[in-house]
This record gives sequence, structure tokens and C-alpha cells, in this order.
Amino acid sequence: MRSAGSGVFSFVLLGGLAWWGAGLPTTAAPPDSPVRSYYVYVCAESDDEVALVRYGPGGAEVVKTIRVGSYPNEIEGPHGIEVDPDGRHWYVSIAHGLPFGSVHKYETGTDLWVGDVTLGLFPATLDVSPATGLLYAVNFNLHGGMEPSSISAVEVETMTEVARIDTGVMPHGSRLSRDGRRHYSVNMMSGDLVELDALGFEIARRLPLGAGVQPTWVTTPTAAGIAYVTGNNVARVFEVDLGAWRILRTFETGAGPYNLDVTSDGSTLVATYKNGDAVGFWDLASGRERARMTTSRTIPHGVVVTPDGEYAFVTLEGVGGEPGTVEVYHVPTAERVDTVDVGKQAGGIAFWKTEG
Amino acid sequence: MGLFVACVALMARGQGGQTPHGLSIEVAPGALTLEIGEAAHLSATVRDAAGDVVDDATVVYYSRARRSVSVTRTGRVEAHRPGEFTLIVLVPENPGDRRRRPDARARVEVPVTVPLPPIAEVAFRDVPGVFYAGTHPRLDVLVRDTVGARRDDVPVTFSSGDTSVATIDRFGYLTLHDTGTVIVTAAVDTESDALTIEIVENPVTALRLPMGADTARTGDVLRFTAVATDASGREVPGVPVRYAVGGETAPAIVAAGAPAQIAADGRFVAERSGTYTIIATAGTHTATRTVSIEPRDVARDVEVVGRGRVLDRRSSDLWVWEGTDGRDYAITGTWGADGHTYFWDVTDPANIEKVNEVQVDARTVNDVKVSADGEVAVIGREGASNRRNGIVVLGAGNPREGVPVLSEFTNQLTGGVHNVFVDGNHVYALSAGRRYDIIDIEDPRRPERVGRFELETQGHSVHDVWVSDGIAFSSNWTDGVVAVDVGGGGLGGTPERPVELGRYAYPNGWNHAAFPYRSRSTGKFYLFAGDEAYPYGGLANDADEARLPFRTAGWIHVIDWSDWDNPREVARYQVPEAGSHNIWVEDDIMYVGFYYPGGLRVVDVSGELMGDLYRQGREIARFVPFDPEGFAPNAPFVWGPQPYKGHIFFTDYNSGLWAVRLEEKTGPGRVIGEPH
Repeated sequence: MRSAGSGVFSFVLLGGLAWWGAGLPTTAAPPDSPVRSYYVYVCAESDDEVALVRYGPGGAEVVKTIRVGSYPNEIEGPHGIEVDPDGRHWYVSIAHGLPFGSVHKYETGTDLWVGDVTLGLFPATLDVSPATGLLYAVNFNLHGGMEPSSISAVEVETMTEVARIDTGVMPHGSRLSRDGRRHYSVNMMSGDLVELDALGFEIARRLPLGAGVQPTWVTTPTAAGIAYVTGNNVARVFEVDLGAWRILRTFETGAGPYNLDVTSDGSTLVATYKNGDAVGFWDLASGRERARMTTSRTIPHGVVVTPDGEYAFVTLEGVGGEPGTVEVYHVPTAERVDTVDVGKQAGGIAFWKTEG
Repeated sequence: MGLFVACVALMARGQGGQTPHGLSIEVAPGALTLEIGEAAHLSATVRDAAGDVVDDATVVYYSRARRSVSVTRTGRVEAHRPGEFTLIVLVPENPGDRRRRPDARARVEVPVTVPLPPIAEVAFRDVPGVFYAGTHPRLDVLVRDTVGARRDDVPVTFSSGDTSVATIDRFGYLTLHDTGTVIVTAAVDTESDALTIEIVENPVTALRLPMGADTARTGDVLRFTAVATDASGREVPGVPVRYAVGGETAPAIVAAGAPAQIAADGRFVAERSGTYTIIATAGTHTATRTVSIEPRDVARDVEVVGRGRVLDRRSSDLWVWEGTDGRDYAITGTWGADGHTYFWDVTDPANIEKVNEVQVDARTVNDVKVSADGEVAVIGREGASNRRNGIVVLGAGNPREGVPVLSEFTNQLTGGVHNVFVDGNHVYALSAGRRYDIIDIEDPRRPERVGRFELETQGHSVHDVWVSDGIAFSSNWTDGVVAVDVGGGGLGGTPERPVELGRYAYPNGWNHAAFPYRSRSTGKFYLFAGDEAYPYGGLANDADEARLPFRTAGWIHVIDWSDWDNPREVARYQVPEAGSHNIWVEDDIMYVGFYYPGGLRVVDVSGELMGDLYRQGREIARFVPFDPEGFAPNAPFVWGPQPYKGHIFFTDYNSGLWAVRLEEKTGPGRVIGEPH
């Protein structure tokens, strides 16, 4: 397997975990237990639940399960989830609809429902702008027709869709620039990265990622203006200079890179390999995958890194009646430190807060 | 257009009135009033704390009702629909400020008023052909505005040009005092219509009310047609007749409310036993008839014959059929689990035996259907791990011997297949609740899509489809039931080229299922449309509560659809304590599954149907399937029934497959509220 600009690496299987990155130093073993507690919200797409998961001194546990949706005996599919930058509310996309999906707003802590808004077909990933408070959600349209879809902009005070912008076929991933003025998403079946002027509600730029490439995710841009984009079907991650609007490096990854997150210092990229049942940890300075961990269950989906860069929470969908799982990795060592089961088909995940 | 200026400075909490940004934004005009189609420009000025204009400030415009009033990024506003709306103008947060506060630095709301369009047309319509002195016909008026919309929200002012000849009330009812000519006017604002009516001598000297029977049962529809005759005994056409009913319920029925009704066309039905008098009035003439109504007395008991318990997961739909080996089988789906479908030998309903099961990559197998020849079963998938879902075609000829997977078909069905129907060699499969695709399975190992049907309405959604005699009836929530010719509708429709026959939507927008049925006793074509609704909420935030049953609502709507162009909702079956789900009608008996705690209901739907079937005592039986070991214990939740060879099979969401039968009627049945 090749890594862009580097040589061939070897790996050693260690009881279910595979280590990559020969020659790269790793830090000491992870702490026995964290000093602080980290909270994430996790979607269980086939149980219409959102789980509040805490990883702290007592390990990983489900603190609460919140049922979501409107029809108790229709599977409505919570898919994407995000916490408002102010921490007061969280938002979940209810992907399946009648036929349009929706985004629902809940209060963090109490987890009480506040409101909802109907959007397009299969709203998936979402993010909230720190500049305006507007929420942006991509309408993935998993309904089978390969037709252009859209990005919705929502005023969250009133849960009103204030704009819908045509983008491409099967848009996914939804991340805003740090200043909240630019929105990035990818079109899985159009094969491009899209920059949306989040203030003017117009597509600003498109970056083709290569013939046949099916991207599924784009990260929040780093402080240096770099974003990482998955090439899900070609087992690659593209490093994109948003200023120059070009691909800087291409990383050869495990099979089916699906979701990504970057530590806040921009040093490490964590990637879920949906088809490879693994999680990759990339040293971004060297462009090398320093570790690859086989997941404890199949179909890894979402990943979120804690703001301090210590831990990565990864969701595993599983198959059929299996529960979903949240895995916790110590980022510096790439060691899995705990797991906890949640509802079926764990997918979207969002970091809420740190305590202690 | 309003001309004041809106000026707002965002005041941060705890800043003593000074914002950290010190910005304010002024928008002119501060309010707008626009006619439909009219446009205007907003001008925003951003000032700093010193009051100086910030030239390079970014300003964001958006509308909270963009389809009614739009605004561009440069502030151009255009009105599209009437109403009161709000535009937002804001200055985004400072890019360098990394606090977790997603508020704008300055923000203002601009109210926009778009008045209702003026009325453009007022017109009398469906004017009676003749007006007789002494009668009280009603005039109907159509009002339209300048954009062509029908306006029922504006009061119409009626007036008579000669009140000695005719007067008219605010509802449009005329009182024709004398013969002569009079001009009647209907007016809204400055628009009006004038109708000249000629009132002729009323030749009616008598009014008769013929009656075929003077005894009936609750729920029986009796038709009364008053006949006005002149002095020579000849019938006088076109005489407006009003009907009313009064009477007394049986002595044991106290405080019954309104126990009977009569429609404007003379159809009468009673909900309670008693003695009722029908009154027909035409001008100064009246005629009456009195009828005796007896209890319908159709109630029977239900006996549990056998069960195929499913306790470790929820069950979904079922189908019962005769296998190619001559034995009887049932197929049941599972919900929110791991993709199982169960096959049961139900030849002896007292000894139901699970003979096979198939697991596919899915969490929910919501719907299961079997072809008429019993050879092929089709199941729909939701929650497949590869997100491709689609349908799976199974060999169902002899489930005891095996149930091979013949094929999968996922193309453009990736959003999930919630319901399917098999009609001949075609499968009608819902695609993500948006449309239904028609798939040819003549070779069940090679399914091929040949057609599809999708509504054109905004936000349309389909939940179910059922095919009968070459007509597909889909259930479409707010769009109601849509009938489509796929080979038997007479419009040349085929599975490859479906042609819509008609549609009927009802106000609550809960249409979830439909069962077409031609009444054996009357020949009328009825469409039984079922609701599914959760208006009480009920989603619990606690995991333990999540296993508790939830409250539902909705009922069965009976639509007389004998004329495709003129569907009429004529009756309802509404159980007060529960919400409806799936329906089956056979031999003038309706079987309905109700969600907690309604159970299975069996209803006599013989004869003409009108009014509230529940209150008419048409319920033959009810059975509520409790199981203390159910997936949710003692939480009956009947998914759907199917009568088959003298038994009633049904699935219960929390306890699996049941077989029951109606016991022989041995005496007067008990109906709550009726004397015994």
C-alpha cells in the first residue's frame, strides 16, 4: 500500500490491532482513566435514538437515551448530529421523511425537544455557523435517483429554512469554516468538493476530486486553511488547500474512508474506514498513517475528536440486530481505551462538552 | 410601503449597555407593505460605536418565509404570497472571535406585509332552474381574487332588490314571499354579481313522503324522497325540500346525544334504537313519516384458536395463502430487529407451527406479500447495512421444504421499501416513501423495473399501495388516496404506463392505508381508507418508557367511489380510544387492526354506509390480544388482519401471529349503550 510521497510501510498485528508507521515515534501508553469526562451525542439510525455517551474516570457509559422522530413505529433514521457552538442545543437530522426529512432541535442537558424543520430528501450531515447561528444541512437524497440535491440553511431560533441551494448529486459532509462564513461539503456522485458562501447562500467554488471519485466527508478547515476530504471508493484522503483551492497531498488509506476529524492543533487526522472495519490515525506533518486499529464491530461510521486532542470517539454501525457501538481511542497512542454499545446502526456523532 | 428605519444594536449581557462590538445596523425602510409581485430594496447601514459608518461591513439578508417573500443578498425584496412575514438583516460575528456564541453582531427584523389580493370576481353558480313562491332555496356564490384563488374567507353580502318579493339572509337562503321578478345581489368589497330571478306561482298543493319500510336497524340507511304535487296530483319538479328528523330513543337509552341524522338528500340513519319521525318541508307544506329502529344486534364473541408467538422482537405485516403443496401458510415480517421473516404452517390454526425463517440484511421487514399462485413471496427491506435496501424475492411454494432467495432488487430503491404489493407478475414497491416502482417478476430471478408512479404535488409522500382488478390504490398522507389504472381502469393504463383515474384527500392528512371493495349487498364501490396518526406525541425520553405503548389516533374513512370523478366520503369507523392501522374487507365485513388498546375489530359493513359506523352498533366483535410476555408486555398493538378460510389471522406488533374466529351467535349481543 502506498502513501503519497512516502515509501511502503509494514504492519504487525497485535491482538486485533494493526500498527502502521514504522519509524514514527509513539507516545507512552494511555492513562488508565481520563481525569476529565467527555460527553458526546450519538445517533442510532435504526433505533431512532440518540445516546448521550460519557467517557470519564469511570470509563465509557451511556448516560441517557433520547428517542427521536415523530412516528413511533416508523424508522425515521437519525443520521447527522451537531451541537450548537454555544453548547445550549443540539440538532439531529431525521433522514427518512414523508418523503422529506427534517432537523430537530433539542436542549443540551435536559435533552428536551425544542422544535423541528422539514428540509429536503434525506438531510444528513449538518453544522452551525458561529458567525450567524445559521445551521447548514446537506440533503443527501438516498432515495435512489441520481439527481442533483441541495444544501439547506436554517435559522435555529425559529427553526425555519431560510435558503436551499442547489449543489450536486448526493451531497454529504457539512462543515463550516472556523469563521462560519464558508461552508464545505462534497457531492458523492458528482465527485467534487463544494464551497458555499454561507452568508450569501451561493456556491462559490467547486473542486473536482478526480474521475470517478466518490467523496463522503470534508473536515472542518484547520487554522491554516486546510481541509481533508475522503475518496471513499478509491481509498484515499485528499488534503486540500482551501486558499489555493487545490489538492496538496493524497493519502492512500484503508478501504472506504468515510468520516474524518482532525485534532484542534492540526497534527492528527482520524479516519474511519467503513469497508475496512478499521480506524486510521494520520500524522499530518509527515503524511504517514501512524496507526490503524481494527474496530471491535463492523462498519465504522462517524468520528469526533475531543477539543483537547486526547480522545477520538468512533461509531460502529454493526449489521442487522447487532447494537451499535461507540469506541474511544486515545489519540496520542491510537489505543482503544473503551467501548460501549448503543442502539442499532450507530452513525452520526457530535462532541458536547468536557467536565473536570 | 412603510418608511421608518429599523435600528438595532446587539446588547451583550453584562456589558453595561456597551456591546463588545459596538456595532449597530440601520435598515431602510424598516417595514414594508408590498402587493403580490411588487419588489423593493432594503438599504442597510452599519455603524461603529462612535456612530461612524462601517463601509466594508458584511450584511446578510434572509427571509423566514422565502416562498412568500424573498430577499436577495443585495437586499432586493419581492412579494409572492399574502401574509405577514419577517426579513432578517444581520452583521455576522467577527471572524476573529472564537467564543462559542453563534449570534450575529448586529441584527434587525424587518416586517413585511403582503395584503390579500383584491377580489376580482363574485359570481352566482348552480342557480336553480325554477323559483316557486313560498319556498326557501339557497344560492351559492363563487368568489375569486385577482390571482385567481378561490376565496372562502371573505363574507359575502347579499341583498334583495325588492324585499316584498324576496328576502335573502347572510347564508344565501332566499325566502320567496311572492311571485314576480327580483334582482338579488352578492357583493364582496367593490365586486358584485346580480341575479335576476323570476318567482312563479307555487303550484304545490300537497307534499308526500313515500316510504318503503317503517322498521329498520341501527346503521341501516333509509332513503326518503319527498314528492310535491299540484292540484291535479302531478309531480312538481324542482321544488326545494328540507328534511329534518326528531324522535325518541328506546326508553333505556338516556341522554344519548344526537341519535339519528338525515342528509340533505333525504338519506336517514339512526345510531340508537328508538322511534324517529322524518319531516320534509317545502314552503308551507310538510310531510312526516315515523319509523321504528331496532338495535342492529350483530355482536359475537371471539375465540382464540392458536398462536405463533414472537416475543423477542416486534412483528410487522402478514399474508396467509395456500401453498403449492395444498397446505396453508402465513408469512410474517419483523420490525426494528435483524431482518427476519417467518413462515408458519397454519393449516391447523390451533397448532400453528413455524416451519422456516429467512434472514436478510435489514433491520425491518415491514411488508410481506405472496403472489396469487403461492409461488413467490416479496419482502421489503429497511435498514440494510449497505444502505441499498430494495426488495427480496423468495420462493414460497413450499415453505416447509425451503424458502430460497430467488433475487434481490435494489436499483433506485435504496431509501427503503416500506410496502409492497404483488399483482400477477408485477411487484409494486414503494421507494423511500416518495413513489412506487412497478417491477416485473415474470422471471423472479431477474426482476426488472417497467414503470413507476409518483405524484406531482409539493412534498408528496406515499405510504402504501394495494392493487385490485387492475387498479392501484396508493395511500399518500395529505394527498389522500390515488387510484391509478394499471390495466383494469378503462383508460388504457398498464404497469408500464400507469394512468391516474382519480384522487381523494381528506382534511386530517393521515391517510396510511386503503382497501378497495365492491359491496356485495349494494354493488357500490367503497374505498376504505385508514389513518395512522400520533397527535399526542408520546415519544418517551427514558429508555424504560420507550418500551411502553404509545397513544394513537385516526379512523377508517369510507369513500363512495362509484364515480371516479366524484368520490364522496360517506361514513367513518372511529374507535374513540385507539388509532387505526391496516384494513381488510371481505363478504361485507371489515377487519381492522387498531393500535393500543383497540385490538382487532370486526365490523358489519353491509348495506349502504352513512355516518358513524361505530356508534351505529355495527361492530361485530373486538378482541384485544394481551400477552404478559410480549416484547412490550400487555401492550396490544394489532398491525393488520386477514380473514382466511373461516379464521381471522392477524399480527400483533408485540406478540406475533394470532388466529381467532368468530363464535356462533347464540342470542342477543351486547352493545354498550343499547338496551338488553
